[in-house]
Amino acid sequence: MLEIDGLRKRYGDKTALDGVGFTVRPGEMFGFVGANGAGKTTTMRIVMGVLDADSGQVRLDGRPVTYDDRRTFGYMPEERGLYQKMKVAEQIEYFGRLHGLAPAAARSATAALVERLGLVERRDDAVEALSLGNQQRVQLAVALVHEPAVLILDEPFSGLDPLAVDALAEVLKDRAAAGVPVIFSSHQLDLVERLCDSVGIISAGRMVAYGPVGELREREGRGVLRVVVRDAAPGWADGLPGELTREGDRDVLLCEEGDDQDILRTAIGAGRVEHFGRRQPTLAEIFREAVA
Amino acid sequence: MNGLWLVAQREIRTRVRTKSYLISLAVSAVLVAALAFLPKVLGGDDTYNVGVVGQAPPPAAQLAYSRWPDEAAARKAVIDGDLDAALINGDKVLANGELDQRLGLVLESAHRDAQIKAAGLTITPLTVESVGADARYQGVRTGIATLIVMVLFFLLIYSSMFVAMGVVEEKGSRIVEILLTSVRPWQLLGGKIVGLGSLGLVNLVVVIAAGLAASFATGFTADLPPGMGGIVVSAVVWFVLGYAFFSALAAAFGSLVSRQEELNTVLTPMTMLMMLTYLTAYFAAVEPTGTVARVLSFVPPFSSMVMPVRTAAVDVPLGEILIAGALMVVAVVAVLLGAARVYRRAVLRTGARVKLGEVVR
Repeated sequence: MLEIDGLRKRYGDKTALDGVGFTVRPGEMFGFVGANGAGKTTTMRIVMGVLDADSGQVRLDGRPVTYDDRRTFGYMPEERGLYQKMKVAEQIEYFGRLHGLAPAAARSATAALVERLGLVERRDDAVEALSLGNQQRVQLAVALVHEPAVLILDEPFSGLDPLAVDALAEVLKDRAAAGVPVIFSSHQLDLVERLCDSVGIISAGRMVAYGPVGELREREGRGVLRVVVRDAAPGWADGLPGELTREGDRDVLLCEEGDDQDILRTAIGAGRVEHFGRRQPTLAEIFREAVA
Repeated sequence: MNGLWLVAQREIRTRVRTKSYLISLAVSAVLVAALAFLPKVLGGDDTYNVGVVGQAPPPAAQLAYSRWPDEAAARKAVIDGDLDAALINGDKVLANGELDQRLGLVLESAHRDAQIKAAGLTITPLTVESVGADARYQGVRTGIATLIVMVLFFLLIYSSMFVAMGVVEEKGSRIVEILLTSVRPWQLLGGKIVGLGSLGLVNLVVVIAAGLAASFATGFTADLPPGMGGIVVSAVVWFVLGYAFFSALAAAFGSLVSRQEELNTVLTPMTMLMMLTYLTAYFAAVEPTGTVARVLSFVPPFSSMVMPVRTAAVDVPLGEILIAGALMVVAVVAVLLGAARVYRRAVLRTGARVKLGEVVR
């Protein structure tokens, strides 16, 4: 279990992180969401030990994370970096060795990843000769070659075509299924919603929303009742609590109080009810509201 | 330690495969070999061709005899310039115009010796004893010292530049962020310095071997001063020390910037120091016994080039060499520690150039 607890970081008089904390269980996929400059990259860099926090702690299974623990982590930084002139397979293997794999183990892990990520024909090409998408695959292979115990990926999906996104998503699901805590940041909220078990939304260095995706949507919906009615006479909802808006030719009523059965009866009487239920905002809606 | 070796291995593998490394290795070897040939080519042949007709004279150094059937043939050869002179029946010399003064003396002395011997007398030659320093090899030793200055300077600046470029490459491409999650900064820095340094050392050894091989081929080895082995060993050891010093500086300065274009500017203090070391060493090669040379051969980093030059040019007491070496080792350790500190703090701060003051505190 990876615990991030009360991280604070200042650059001069600018506060980058102001008490960031969340927990990722083994096998859990955690989506890290926030506007640019909100503190995602800083948090991930601190988790990887690339940056030191002013205060706060990162713990793995209850103990503070050490350098040796981090060597077993897989990391994909926001700024991609590979040796441009080094060959694909050679590079992946080199990073495997740096992470402590024996030569034979590094070779076989490299062969398996090259196969899985569709780089077989490119294995002896210099990285600089590859398309950006393929370079991204190599970057991912570098993060995965040593079968990491924890995965920290900063914007792994940016710049990938839909097929590559699916391939990467499969790989991440595999790792999570093997019991690895996976953290990744992304601006593609639909993707996060689809893939992740839990999400954390960070804004200006603070966690503004955090929890399992379903729970979060329910909680952020705050039990608000959403009723969509078509062809209703104007003024039909005058006697009801809540707020009425028009979306196209439909009336949308949002009620935070009142008896739901009364509201339903009134709505049916007024027109054609197309939707009736507790509001479940999308992640994008939650995000907009949280960072506003 | 394992991380350091892996990094060093990669540096060596990557660099050795490039054409530029092999080409520079070949060019420097050829250049030094050519320099070793140069004295022979410029100095020309220092023996005289003397034609002999009739009675053969006793052999003498500096004289190469050839037999001719009669005086007329020998006379023609002298006029054509095939012979420097011709000796007829042991008592007459044919020369083209005036006889070369030195050749005249040699022939005269040989002629006299032969007559004295024929008269049954034995003479004892003069014995010469030098009361000053052995100056026989002075010219050659100065030449070797000058050569060492050039080779050391070239290899030091070349190897250090590669360290700096490697540091910037890793910083600029942000790959350092992944590297530092699997190796420690000192391993990454040390591996780079060790790897590229080994290649520099290979280069130095190849250059020395080429120079010595060329000397053997030309027969120049006979003119080499005794203690040549010591001169070579000293050059190699001082190269290692000087390289450790300058490459650590290069890495520290290099880690301040993120782009290769900024490298020259940020390296200026290091290149200036290197140029200064080069100039003092060059000066020491010309004037190895001067006070400046003596003093600077103890002061790091000047000692890294001045001391091997002094050792090559004159005899330096072993004690002085050891003291200079110890001082340089202390300086190297200090610079390595300082550079590791700067590197660790600066290498992840990408973007604008990092000010040295911000990272040394």
